[in-house]
Amino acid sequence: MNQIEVISKLQDIFDNVFLEPVELTPLLSAKDVPEWDSLTHISLMVAVEKAFSVRFRVGEVETTRNVGDFADLILKRLQEP
Amino acid sequence: MHNRDIKTLLLSGSPDFWGQLAARTRASSDFDELFMLSVLRKKAHLRHHIAPGVVHEKTRLALVGGYSLYPLHDLLEHLCEMEGFPCEVWRGEFDNYISEIMDDASDLYRFQPQIILLMPAEHRCKYSGALTDARETQQAEAGRVVQSLLKLICKLHEKTHAEVIVTNFILPARHDLGAYRSRTLGSDWTFRKWVNLELGLNAPPYLHICDMEFLAHRRGGIEARDERSWYESKQPCSSALLTDTAREIVNLIRSMRQAPKKVLVLDLDNTIWGGVIADDGLEGIEIGDTSPRGEAFKAFQKAILSLKQRGILLAVCSKNDHEKAAEAFEKHPEMVLKMEDFVSFKANWEPKSDNLRQMAHELNLGLDSFVFVDDNPAEVEIVRQFAPGVATILLGPDPSGHLTQLQDCRLFEPQNITAEDAGRTDQYRSDTQRQALCSAITDMDSYLESLAMEAVISEFTSMDVPRLAQLINKSNQFNLTTRRRTEADLLALLRNPDYVCFSIRLNDRFGEHGLISVVIAQEENGTLKIDTWLMSCRVLKRQVEDEALNELARLARTRNCCRVEGIYVPTAKNAMVRDLYPKFGFLLSLENETVRKFNLNLDDFQPRPTKIAIKRRAYEPN
Repeated sequence: MNQIEVISKLQDIFDNVFLEPVELTPLLSAKDVPEWDSLTHISLMVAVEKAFSVRFRVGEVETTRNVGDFADLILKRLQEP
Repeated sequence: MHNRDIKTLLLSGSPDFWGQLAARTRASSDFDELFMLSVLRKKAHLRHHIAPGVVHEKTRLALVGGYSLYPLHDLLEHLCEMEGFPCEVWRGEFDNYISEIMDDASDLYRFQPQIILLMPAEHRCKYSGALTDARETQQAEAGRVVQSLLKLICKLHEKTHAEVIVTNFILPARHDLGAYRSRTLGSDWTFRKWVNLELGLNAPPYLHICDMEFLAHRRGGIEARDERSWYESKQPCSSALLTDTAREIVNLIRSMRQAPKKVLVLDLDNTIWGGVIADDGLEGIEIGDTSPRGEAFKAFQKAILSLKQRGILLAVCSKNDHEKAAEAFEKHPEMVLKMEDFVSFKANWEPKSDNLRQMAHELNLGLDSFVFVDDNPAEVEIVRQFAPGVATILLGPDPSGHLTQLQDCRLFEPQNITAEDAGRTDQYRSDTQRQALCSAITDMDSYLESLAMEAVISEFTSMDVPRLAQLINKSNQFNLTTRRRTEADLLALLRNPDYVCFSIRLNDRFGEHGLISVVIAQEENGTLKIDTWLMSCRVLKRQVEDEALNELARLARTRNCCRVEGIYVPTAKNAMVRDLYPKFGFLLSLENETVRKFNLNLDDFQPRPTKIAIKRRAYEPN
């Protein structure tokens, strides 16, 4: 899987959570999307961990700045044994 | 993905949206799915998409604790609204509960909560000394943890009169200390267990325990915790257990408002025994210790019998020939349940919904007091459609699951078991004997006389409070105002000199009826206003209401009141008392759609003659 494929799978998850369609791009971040508040964020993270079967390490999600960073993090965790 | 459908319903403003949302919420056990549904609910509110049905006043629910109460507050808000009792939620700061509770001027008290959830911090439930300290020392410290918690809870209650829900402590799920953990009270494992036990056993009536120890045990200790979510956002537990906890809290709130069910109605074939009695005969049905299936059915019957011992009425509703069905109970040696355990036995070929309605009529109970159990989906569907209000349990195909389905149905959970509950079947059975006597004596007066009734009228006492609250919260038919009150409300009334409050207990030659009538009246400028007047329908037409009025008039006179004011608030269920006041000589003073008010001038009132001997009156020495 590469970043584009990860973002495309993320798109499905976001479409499921958000009411208004949001087109995911590597530079998009939470502050660009009115619906993306902290409650939605919690829900998104649980859904992402489940969909990708990954588990983020403590504190690392908040270090990502945008969708691209986040996709890279998913990729990194996917490559773990 | 099926979320698209519900979103389309929302975006198109469809009235089906709310039904779908409630159904999805009920079915979901996923934390993230519940949040998504909650987001949709809030979106719908923003779009002024209004749920059909009654608009309920919001209950004010405050959350305080040693954890971040975000996002728990959102889950609770969502689940409460979906259950039909929307809440306005106030959330305390992370781990600020002690000062929020101790400070009389805190925002918590300004919010004027009606229900308060307290989630005490786990780190304050830890033994401070050594594992090897004397057991007395360790025990004393556990006692102090419980006492300080109970003090906080007591302060909360005295200040707000709110019902309080407290979460108890989750036990550790790691091997730390090994087998030694259970040989000392100093380990987190035993210390918290001890604290949880003491907390539950010492809980005052207004305190409800949200048993997180049990919920974590049910889910599995390791799955219940999530260290990462504590470091990142100060969560009390894993998202899975947080969902379980939110559901449990909502269940506790519901149980404060709704009485538990009263009657369990059972199908027979393949429900309480295996096989079909009409086809397989007495020897052919499976019940008893001779086969694994027979054992499973027997265990199910034993559990049903223990419900009866807790005060639940049992009944039978089966498509069967009456004689054949009755024979199984009379002659099968392994049968745990006997004919006399049932207050009603309908084995016939009428639709089950009709039988249930008939039963409700005979027992003077609403359909919403009934739970119907059957293994046949078609029968369950008929009852759902044609006897709405009856809760149903559709048993699975494996009888070893019958017992667990009953244990997990959550319909018969006692709040406080009262002594009256345990004797209830006897009361209903002697009702049948009384009815037999009634048909023998045609003249009502001689019938009432022959019953040799005795009543004890008592002012409210703290000992009676659990039973009073139970009656106040479940009586629907003979209930003039249908005002519900919590145990906490009643304890407050006990100390209020402006109120006259009494209850009536009735006995007759067939047995005890227990506490069956409640009156609450408020004195205001020479008038005694009847705030609450209700009576159990078991004692209809026994002149208890006449004695209640006599007592009211007597108490009004001792307080130098010259008038009694009666109020009737119509509901779907209390039409039977619509004309109670005029029948007793009250004059109508006001009438509109929501209320009728009446006055009784005491100068014109003569005590009503009855056949009840009054053994004691309220506010009088014994």
